Amino acid sequence: MAQEHYPLRTAAALLALGVLAGCALPAPYRAPPPAAEAAPAAAAPAAAVPVAPAPEVPPPPPVREYRLGAATRSLVTDARAAVTRGDLPAASMTLDRALRIEPTNPLLWIEIGRLRLAENNARQAEGCSRKALSLASGDRGTQFLAGHVLIDALRAQRRNQEAHELERQPFMN
Amino acid sequence: MAPSKRLRRRVRVIAGGGALAAVLAFVGWVAYLDHLVTREFQGRLWSIPARVFAEPLELYAGAPVSANDLEQELVRLHYRAGDPAAGPGTYRRHGADFELHARRVRFVDELREPVRIGIRAGGESIQGLKAADGSELPLFRLDPLLVGSVFPVHGEDRIVLTPAEVPPLLRGSIKAVEDRRFDEHHGVDARSILRAMWANLRAGHVTQGGSTLTQQLVKNYFLSDEQTFGRKLTEALMALRLEARFSKEDILVAYLNEVYLGQDGERAVHGFGLGAEFFFAKPLAELDVGELALLVGIVKGPSFYDPRLHPDRARARRNLVLAEMLETHLIDAPTAARAAEKPLGLRAPGGGYVPAYLDLVRRHLKRDYADADLAAAGLTIYTTLDPRAQAAAEHALMAQLKRLDAQSRAKGSRLQGAVVIAEPNSGDVIAVVGGREVGAGGFNRALDAHRPIGSLVKPAIYLAALESGRYNAASILEDAPIALKLGDGSIWSPQNFTREVYGPVPMARALAESLNLATVHLGLELGVPKLIETLGQLGLDIHPQPNPSLLLGALDLTPLEVVQMYTSLANGGFRARLRAVRAVLDEHGTPLKRFAVQVEAAAPPAAVYQLDRMLTLVTTHGTGRGASAHLPAGIVVAAKTGTSSDTRDSWFAGFTGSYLAVVWVGYDDNKVTGLTGASGALPVWADAIGALKPASFEPTAAELVEDRWIEFSTGLATTPACSADAVAIAVPRGTVLPAKAGCGASPAGTLTDKIGTWLKNTIH
Repeated sequence: MAQEHYPLRTAAALLALGVLAGCALPAPYRAPPPAAEAAPAAAAPAAAVPVAPAPEVPPPPPVREYRLGAATRSLVTDARAAVTRGDLPAASMTLDRALRIEPTNPLLWIEIGRLRLAENNARQAEGCSRKALSLASGDRGTQFLAGHVLIDALRAQRRNQEAHELERQPFMN
Repeated sequence: MAPSKRLRRRVRVIAGGGALAAVLAFVGWVAYLDHLVTREFQGRLWSIPARVFAEPLELYAGAPVSANDLEQELVRLHYRAGDPAAGPGTYRRHGADFELHARRVRFVDELREPVRIGIRAGGESIQGLKAADGSELPLFRLDPLLVGSVFPVHGEDRIVLTPAEVPPLLRGSIKAVEDRRFDEHHGVDARSILRAMWANLRAGHVTQGGSTLTQQLVKNYFLSDEQTFGRKLTEALMALRLEARFSKEDILVAYLNEVYLGQDGERAVHGFGLGAEFFFAKPLAELDVGELALLVGIVKGPSFYDPRLHPDRARARRNLVLAEMLETHLIDAPTAARAAEKPLGLRAPGGGYVPAYLDLVRRHLKRDYADADLAAAGLTIYTTLDPRAQAAAEHALMAQLKRLDAQSRAKGSRLQGAVVIAEPNSGDVIAVVGGREVGAGGFNRALDAHRPIGSLVKPAIYLAALESGRYNAASILEDAPIALKLGDGSIWSPQNFTREVYGPVPMARALAESLNLATVHLGLELGVPKLIETLGQLGLDIHPQPNPSLLLGALDLTPLEVVQMYTSLANGGFRARLRAVRAVLDEHGTPLKRFAVQVEAAAPPAAVYQLDRMLTLVTTHGTGRGASAHLPAGIVVAAKTGTSSDTRDSWFAGFTGSYLAVVWVGYDDNKVTGLTGASGALPVWADAIGALKPASFEPTAAELVEDRWIEFSTGLATTPACSADAVAIAVPRGTVLPAKAGCGASPAGTLTDKIGTWLKNTIH
């Protein structure tokens, strides 16, 4: 289970360790430079100034807004109609078809996650919504939608603590 | 009563009893044969194999299908060019505009009645679709291509013809050549037996057999090849029972599906459906008169008339069959003359028949379904096979191995190879090539060749390092000699491929240039058990001993397992369960089983993102540089080369935005190839993927990372203006990197800028 909640844990861990990683560089190697063609260029590490310049202002995360294409939109409409008439298998097949057209569109993974919840398959709902959340990087609105499916999937597995942590993420507010 | 009379009576009684017993035994025997014939024959005749379909091609505005691609696809699906008003199965092309009259077709989720639509295709992609009433259609799918038939339970696969699929000319000519009185006799033909006996008597040995088609069928089904009177009698009796029980049509079609036509390695080629693919690489319906005549001629002696081994004999035999076709008025004289002049028209198998893929389908069916589900007749299996990807992979492997063989030092040996292509997000396996004889069955290297993966293991080590949070792409590794005492007392001292030592190198470079010593130092630091754990995370169900040599890929995997391992890397850290079967429908079109896409978190997306960005450096600055020459300009590829010890195995695993493909090249007997991953497997990979118009690998940037420029050689923060070998890497946000003297580090620009700069530096 531990590896199931990466986005949260790694958030803190990577931020904290990032600086350490930068400082933890081994001491420059002083052996003679290798003779191979692919050897390091003239600038040997020893010549470098081991001063860590403060990075310039990092660019803001790219802002985007995911949408469905016309083809996948029409398939999602069909799938929702199938869900309404209680035909979950048909909905699943239709979304599968949409996924072949836009396999990296988080909105489709959200849709599939919702369907898995309706099928009482919380584990797969979790997989799909985590995938959606990861793909939706930079799109707060889509992250919010994916986060909701993920929270439901976690609650359905009685993992309320993780669901609660997720609710406190900035994109959920 | 006189003793002699009594004796005579007793003899009569005994004789009568004996005769009665003999008659009863004979009747019992016939009844047994009847039972056998009925049960066995019915069992096989009526067990209609499951028909296997490829993924249908989806058309929608923007779909990467050009006008020429579309026409090629329609031809592959046997659509005829002509007036669409003539009926379903026709199309008309005006430049980029198509009018299509689609057939009635069952898809995995719907039965679509015949429909007419308009398609506008551009030079690169579909522009739009219109329904018959002029309204816009959002999408439309073409018929799924039939790629084979399998008996899922007993595992046999062949191309089984239905009565409707048997060309009339084939019916006529097989009767003309093998059994002219087929329609008149009842299973055994006294006249032809007498004729054969007379001929044999005159010749002094067996020159002719008087067997009817029915007898031949019985022999193929039930009996051995021995030529004894008892066997002949059994054959005749069974033939009579078969004729009494089944129609002429059933028997003829069963014969055409059963008859032996040739040998393909360990696989026997049975039936005209498979024979057409095996000899001519096209469906039976598309054979011309001469090709059909050759197949009919081969029946008499598949090894003696093997057209590949004995073309002259086969040609003479074909022309004899043509003469008999003419004599029985099946064809006219000019047709016979024209056909007799033509070459045999043999082609390497390939294209339509995909045994290696069907093999995977069968195994996934076994894995995921109970036998009882699959025993029903007339199942339809929908797969994730993409015929275009399959064709590209087959073509690339055949062409490149031919080229490599010509350059090879091991003259006389034939290189082998395997290719597996998947869609990484869904885990759909879209192409499988199990060897260079693509249309043939035999050893399926894609699924069964367990070979050492060499450096393909390295990304797992670097992933574990990134995941630990203690390393990033600019972290310095020691590429220094190492000697390690192993458990058995031996000393392990690996070397770099170049046998050079590179000193301190940034991690990004160590991976891109596949430096062994730096990797071993890193791996030992993390621990070999950690690597095994990471391989498990990536979806491999393996439990190797934690030997240090594992760090350099002393681990035997099949190409398919490597695909599973790399799926998580190509999929942002999500493990997708590989699937070849989308669904199985029963004969009424009701789904029996379905396979939904399944994904699970496998590794932290931020770590995978950093790793993937390093893997793109393999193709711009590292061992995979050669790939760009085969690919459309500007395509970003993440990849890794692999070479096992002494160049016995050449591997390449790489992914674009749309495809993940793994290629293995080597000798079956494990000889040294002299090929590295870059010189052997890479050209196959690039040739196959290049043909598929791949989209660039553009992973979604994880929110917790940012891009930086570093010097590829030293790992120091720099700018493109300051260092000629500046490369962009992704590091955890806020990471502080030591900078090159006098170079102010700057955050890298947009991903497109960075790709542009890489390419400027690498492509000239």
